[in-house]
Amino acid sequence: MLESRGISVFYGRHRALEDVSLTVSKGEIVVMLGANGAGKSTFLRAVAGQVRKRDGGSVLMDGHDITRQPAHEIVEAGIALVPEDRGIFADLTVQENLILGAYPRRARPSETENMDRVLSLFPKLGERRKQLVRTMSGGERQMVAIGRAMMSAPTILMLDEPSLGLAPLLCTELFRTLARIKDTGVGIFLVEQNARQSLAIADRGYLLDNGHIVGADSATNLANDEKVRLAYLGA
Amino acid sequence: MDIIIIGLLLGATYALMAMGLQLQYGVARIMNLANGEMLIAGAFGTFWFYTASNASPFYALIGVIPLAFAVNWAIYRVLIVPLVRRARNQGQLEVDCILATFGLSFILVGILLAVFGGEYLSYSYLARPIFILGEPYGLNRVAAFIGSLVLCLGLYLWLHRTRPGLALRAVSVNPAAAGLVSINVTRASALAFALGGAVTAAGGVLLSMFLTFDASLGVVFTLKALIIVILGGVSDIRGAILAAFILGLAETTVASLVDPGLTLAAAYLLFMAILLVRPEGLLGRRSS
Ligand SMILES: Nc1ncnc2c1ncn2[C@@H]1O[C@H](COP(=O)(O)OP(=O)(O)OP(=O)(O)O)[C@@H](O)[C@H]1O
Ligand SMILES: [Mg+2]
Repeated sequence: MLESRGISVFYGRHRALEDVSLTVSKGEIVVMLGANGAGKSTFLRAVAGQVRKRDGGSVLMDGHDITRQPAHEIVEAGIALVPEDRGIFADLTVQENLILGAYPRRARPSETENMDRVLSLFPKLGERRKQLVRTMSGGERQMVAIGRAMMSAPTILMLDEPSLGLAPLLCTELFRTLARIKDTGVGIFLVEQNARQSLAIADRGYLLDNGHIVGADSATNLANDEKVRLAYLGA
Repeated sequence: MDIIIIGLLLGATYALMAMGLQLQYGVARIMNLANGEMLIAGAFGTFWFYTASNASPFYALIGVIPLAFAVNWAIYRVLIVPLVRRARNQGQLEVDCILATFGLSFILVGILLAVFGGEYLSYSYLARPIFILGEPYGLNRVAAFIGSLVLCLGLYLWLHRTRPGLALRAVSVNPAAAGLVSINVTRASALAFALGGAVTAAGGVLLSMFLTFDASLGVVFTLKALIIVILGGVSDIRGAILAAFILGLAETTVASLVDPGLTLAAAYLLFMAILLVRPEGLLGRRSS
């Protein structure tokens, strides 16, 4: 289980995140909804060890404190991140990107299995092994990014607005894939502006506003909540 | 014809130098102005080894490569890491590194002068002709050429066929994303820098087989390396290797058809032409 306890992040004097606590367990999908600039990406970066967290808060993975671990150790702890810009190696091939996903020590023994699993999730990647990722479409790059994250055998998979820039049909496809990944026992933490589709596959959700958690409930309750409908569902 | 062959023979050693620089600048993102001194240090080491033992200078590689690796690793850890930690952005890091390694180059020249003295050195190894297409060429040049090719090929295969090699290429392509796949970027950069220095020193070992050198010659090779980087672009090792051969050919052409004193000037003319016409390098893509 991933557990954030009272995390705060400042950019200079600007407070981007204050006292955020939440949990994500194996085998569940948790979504965080928030407007532009609410601090969603900042939270993911803080957990992944890419930005400095204020003293006081902590991040635990299965009970181990990983608050001050560098980014590359956090992957070893079982947390994979697909960042907003996808974070792929554009000048390398699809296959090289996937193999790099298995670079963490934790992922090496199960590399072949994970490769099979990723290729069955995204058969298209198998056909395009030798293609440079730079020459792929947005949707295909997203597959590479998620596939690569899955190659690191994560316990928790975090995704920053994965549906961004995808056509409606691809979006539906993507959310279906995430549900299948969850069924393999991985915990998914999703940051989204596409509230309707993400709440449809999620088990629980958090609302983030201006750096604070302002709501937490089951996905069904959130989808039916009047305020949530107004703010995030446009209805 | 003989101009082309001599150019190619020379180009292979330059290609090795280019690979060293590609590792240091393309992967570790450190513009190392002490690069040429590392090369000359390799040449000095070989001179000393050959005159003392009279064994083939190729054996000097066995000592020079690990030694240069260790020295460059230490340089990265002691000198460069604090600069990387301190730098607010890539631009500042680049300026700091240029100043620091420029200073380092003087220190290295000083050490070489103190240990080996200031005179021109050369030794005679395989100084017999070998006939290629009916023309005689120095056997030592051909030996250095083959040595360079073998090292280049080995390094290329290591970079493209092994997991650590792939990790270095990943850092070169997108250092920000490398952490996401658990690559320790500081360690990978130290490895690339050390390996780059070792490769450069190995280039010095091979060059010394046919070159007369002294302690102050390093800067000339630093400049050549810079030309190759600008010419070939750092993002792609193939561009750098192509640039190395072009430089080798251009130098021999000017040296034999115009005047040997003008080789460096010619190289710079080429360099400026490329800078004006294709600033992204021969094979480089225009950055977005
Ligand atoms: N590197 C940075 N330096 C300074 N301020 C930053 C930095 N990154 C983000 N911010 C600020 O922190 C706040 C939260 O940004 P963040 O990117 O986390 O928002 P977000 O919820 O992901 O928004 P979006 O939905 O647009 O991606 C914003 O006000 C943003 O301007
Ligand atoms: Mg964001």
